[in-house]
Amino acid sequence: MKFHEMETLDKAAVLLSTGLMFLGIVVLGLIETFSGRPYFPTTVEQTNEAGEVVATYTPLIDPNIRVGLVVAGIAVLLVYGLYKLVQPATEAATTNADTTSH
Amino acid sequence: MATTQKYEFAGFEVTETLTGDWQRVWIAFLRVLTGWWFFHSGVTKILADGFNYTYGPIYLRTEMGDTVLGPLAVWMGNNLAWLIKPGVPLFETLIGLALLFGVFTRLASVGGVFFMTMFFVGNADFAHGMVNGDLMGLLLFLTMIVFAAGRYWGLDAILEQTSFVENHPRLRYLLG
Repeated sequence: MKFHEMETLDKAAVLLSTGLMFLGIVVLGLIETFSGRPYFPTTVEQTNEAGEVVATYTPLIDPNIRVGLVVAGIAVLLVYGLYKLVQPATEAATTNADTTSH
Repeated sequence: MATTQKYEFAGFEVTETLTGDWQRVWIAFLRVLTGWWFFHSGVTKILADGFNYTYGPIYLRTEMGDTVLGPLAVWMGNNLAWLIKPGVPLFETLIGLALLFGVFTRLASVGGVFFMTMFFVGNADFAHGMVNGDLMGLLLFLTMIVFAAGRYWGLDAILEQTSFVENHPRLRYLLG
């Protein structure tokens, strides 16, 4: 089934779940990367040759926000999966002919 | 044998040529490796400490305390320790076996997604970026669900042809 043939709720689940994860991982990752040090979603301490901390770089975006977006995307998939389980079975659920292999 | 598939993407006709059963073999291969990964993780905990994984509740209360799932994790660590101690090794092993044999693959993968979400959030190992091993493992389990990986040389392919599943087609959302 092509995307435009999917029901509205299926389209919404696909776009929302992948969209939230894409936002948390890639979009905010791009902002984090190009906004300067530490480039990564973690606090980085810069030390000199003596091992003393000379600078501490903290992420621009709280990693919890990005993790939260990923978790939200997974939560959407969970709700969608539960919905598919309780709604009447569709034709897609009643056939596996195109994927079965022995 | 060459398999050619044509589909349209963004107004362009895309031709995809693969040889033989590469896609099915690869999905089955991913399923078996993912299954082995969890089976090994679970069964080694059983061999080492039996069904008494005491670090489980500690992990939830400490490592996950300050995360976005903190309130849920701390509550689980405080109130579900009786389930978590035997549950972590038991369910890791069962999830692994399910994927190895391709039986109730989607249901088992939901369990895998739950485990990997807790690891991804709790470990918060982002020194090399947000995409780390935990997230990749999480995506592997989601891939098992989306592709119904148990239908590729897995027992789900046989189970789904039984009269019981024919009469209860929604079971295919848990199999496959």
